Amino acid sequence: MRHDEDVAARILLIQLARLGDLVQSLPVIASLAAQYSHRSLDLLCAASLADLARLFQKVGHVVKWNGVQWHAWAESFAGEFQPSRLREVEQYLAELTTDPYAMAYVLNHHPRAILAGTLLATEVQGPTLRGSLDEELTPWASYLRQVAQTRGSNRIHLSDTFCGLCGVTPPPVPPVLRLPSIVLPSDLAEVGMSAGQWIAVVVGAGDADRSIPIAVWTDWISTLLAHDSSCAVVLVGARRDQTTAVAIQDGLSPMMAGRLWDATGRTTLPQLATVLKRCHWAVGADTGPLHLAAAVGTSAMGFYFSRARVHETGPYGLGHWVWQSDHAVPEIWPIHASVKLIREPETVSRQAPVSGWSLWQSHHDEWGAIFHPVDDNDAQEDQRAAVWQQISEQSLSQQGLQ
Amino acid sequence: MNSFEANINRLAQRDSALAAALRQSGGGTLEILPARTGLMSARAQGRWIHSAYDPIKEAQAWAEGQSYQEGETIVVFGVGLLYHIEALCPRLPRTTPVVLVVPNLSVLVDAAMARTWGDWMDRVSWAWGTAEAIGEQIASAGHPIRLVTYAPASALHADSHRAIETVLQRNAAAQAGGQLRIAVVGPIYGGSLPITRYAVSALESLGHDVRWLDHSVHAASYHQLELLKNSQHRLALQSKYAEMLSRITMAQLAEDPPDLVLSLAQAPLILPALEHLRRKKFLTAMWFVENYRHLTYWQQLAAGYDFWFVIQQDPCIAALKQAGAKDVRYLPMAADPSVHRPLELSEAEREEYGSDVSFVGAGYANRREIFPRLLGHDWTFKLWGNEWDGATALTSILQRNGARIDTDTCQKVFNASAVNLNLHSWAGAGLDPDGDFVNPRTFELASCGAFQLTDRRSLMPDLFTASEVATVSSSEALPGEITRWLCEPEQRVAMAAQARQRVLAEHTYVHRMHALLSQVGVASPDRIGSILRGDRQAAALAVAADESFSSVASTLRTFPSAQRVELKQLAAQIRSRGPMGTLSREDLMVLMLDEYRSETKDLV
Repeated sequence: MRHDEDVAARILLIQLARLGDLVQSLPVIASLAAQYSHRSLDLLCAASLADLARLFQKVGHVVKWNGVQWHAWAESFAGEFQPSRLREVEQYLAELTTDPYAMAYVLNHHPRAILAGTLLATEVQGPTLRGSLDEELTPWASYLRQVAQTRGSNRIHLSDTFCGLCGVTPPPVPPVLRLPSIVLPSDLAEVGMSAGQWIAVVVGAGDADRSIPIAVWTDWISTLLAHDSSCAVVLVGARRDQTTAVAIQDGLSPMMAGRLWDATGRTTLPQLATVLKRCHWAVGADTGPLHLAAAVGTSAMGFYFSRARVHETGPYGLGHWVWQSDHAVPEIWPIHASVKLIREPETVSRQAPVSGWSLWQSHHDEWGAIFHPVDDNDAQEDQRAAVWQQISEQSLSQQGLQ
Repeated sequence: MNSFEANINRLAQRDSALAAALRQSGGGTLEILPARTGLMSARAQGRWIHSAYDPIKEAQAWAEGQSYQEGETIVVFGVGLLYHIEALCPRLPRTTPVVLVVPNLSVLVDAAMARTWGDWMDRVSWAWGTAEAIGEQIASAGHPIRLVTYAPASALHADSHRAIETVLQRNAAAQAGGQLRIAVVGPIYGGSLPITRYAVSALESLGHDVRWLDHSVHAASYHQLELLKNSQHRLALQSKYAEMLSRITMAQLAEDPPDLVLSLAQAPLILPALEHLRRKKFLTAMWFVENYRHLTYWQQLAAGYDFWFVIQQDPCIAALKQAGAKDVRYLPMAADPSVHRPLELSEAEREEYGSDVSFVGAGYANRREIFPRLLGHDWTFKLWGNEWDGATALTSILQRNGARIDTDTCQKVFNASAVNLNLHSWAGAGLDPDGDFVNPRTFELASCGAFQLTDRRSLMPDLFTASEVATVSSSEALPGEITRWLCEPEQRVAMAAQARQRVLAEHTYVHRMHALLSQVGVASPDRIGSILRGDRQAAALAVAADESFSSVASTLRTFPSAQRVELKQLAAQIRSRGPMGTLSREDLMVLMLDEYRSETKDLV
């Protein structure tokens, strides 16, 4: 291929999952951009996330995937298939891109994402070995599936497996999302502008079983604000979290009202990113906003329980903390310990253990993200280098077979 | 030149016969009056046909409310002063055929005299003459057809429009070849349960893919609730139980969405469920095989179903419409000749089941009052059925101690009796003075080739003649009629045979289901209608796909040509090529659509 053809060869990264996965794609975007610095890298994502994705510096063009429209077509086609209506679908796809991409990297192990890649690009690299009807997984997709099924001793972060899926290594330093100036609703304009520690409390969760009970939040915020400090709290979340936010505020002392802002359901994703950027800490169980906070450079502290695992989806970057529960439904919560960590981080190594919880801190090295326990005594050996080597060899072997 | 001459001259260029007929016809049906805007409006039978303020604005609002699918022929019922046609035509593609039904020339004469018609008349076809002739003209304009009604004008010729619609439905039924997926929702128990079974069997025999959501399996649990002594608890729990069955039905429908959900009376589908089904674009129909005066829950459900089929005509139909039903049609009861049939009985069976006079049924008030008067005559009388507790005068003739009679026994009694009494139930004394609908028993007896003496019903003459079914008009006349018919065995046999022939020719459940689907098909040309016409069969779809989507057309040709193919089947066929299969861009689009389709409908 001549150099000018290579320049013209456009790459499409496909990430059709939710907010958390989109933000966790920043490392692979950074690595792909570094690897193919002379090529244009576009991103296909859910239409609802496109405004945020447009802030990703390494991405050229954000292509919006309109799931609502696809659902409407599917509904109209089901039970009354009319070939003529495929024209509408064809027109929609033509509007996404006039010429096919040279390569689509597919990050989701979902037929839709793989089909989207095949529809929009001449070559697809993703979870399956051979095309849309193939169920045989690539080595990295197999590894991901095995981790999902058995958890085991995995220490490779999901963001870094995305890199593996795309044939690149994790970026040498965690990527940072630099935000332009974004106007906030007037009553939120003062967030982060005064002295003291600003804490974004992520009140909801993507799934109900991953929600922190309202009473726990009330206790946690009361503990934080009860001290004679200049801490302030901003409740963040989606529109569906507004009821929870109101219930939390109902449980707090009226004396705390002046140090608490409720931003739930009132911000666009770029505005949410701005609010998180203005805070010193983001705390919660909803990994989407936690990843976003980590991406904009804010310290994140997560409470991981239910299906959430620190090693796979902890906040990417340096200096983030995760309280990992031993139980799917925690019996007690590390309220005082976690508040103390924010107020007196220097005492963390002296903290007494909290029953049913372990505390992990994020680090970054050549293999990407890694979480170490606060006492730096991980019983599990770090096998990332060996896994990367093994899977790379398997990938090369399969490429040779093809 | 006045407007009449101008209109007729222009019309003559397209339909000279109609123009000539209009010159010969008088007007006077419509009273032409100026509206507030100065335009002409019209009244008839004391009602405004167009707005008394602004007929054009009103017609435009009407036209905006009409839906249309590409490729359809629009057939308009309702003439008036044609403002609505004038408003409708510009909203349709130039190539869309528009047929105006003219059931009465006098109205069109009035319309021609009232104002000069515009250019729209050059694209309208005029269907006039007898109902049959109009039906043929509509059919020749092209299929599929979509009927639209301008109600104020259409109401003047409701009978004519019904007749024309019947012709169209008959034509649709004759063409029907496609296979529908139909979910039939039956009751937990009761009289509509066997009718559900017959309807399912009939639909299957018509070649449709039928799934019976049979709630009779829940009957034992439901009856347990009836044992609760506290009526408040009983009613609350029965209501909850029905709600749960409604949710079960929704879950079943979600698993395999049908083209049509057909409920029989007492089907446990509550209004919120029906509304949810409509939001999810399920088409629903209810065959309410009950007396609407006795069971009145239809008032709560009227707006929930897309189509209602009832066994009574007005005022039943008007009452349902008043309660919010959009489409209500008359569909009388029927028989299933595979169940209700003549039997060869042994001597012993004739002895056991036979009598001069018999009655099979429950002990309603009118029967309790009438039957004692039939005792003490020189005929034998056997009474079969349950719910006769307390009817001590009838103990001597009550068979099997008042046990419930199963279908097999019923057929034997029908076949073994000389005169089968068929008195419709009523809560009063004597015969029901407002009796209109004809009960299933009438059709079942006729289908068995059994002679019956029935109380007079206002809807009977359209279904059976006096030479097929004998009727009696008062309870006082009943003993005399029994005596008369017992003395005329040959005529009884002849009448019963004719009644059976009538059932076989017109009154089976197959006929009813055929009529029901034809009516739904005509009213829903783009959905049920297109399936019934066979537009969804592989061969037809392949032809439709040929021009632009050759790969999809080629896949469609791998199916048997008459097989109905939907997105699901098409995607499965593409997937069957296996992991190494070659996929075209069209194939990928189909697979993507199927991925979205495969998500369970959010019904539960």
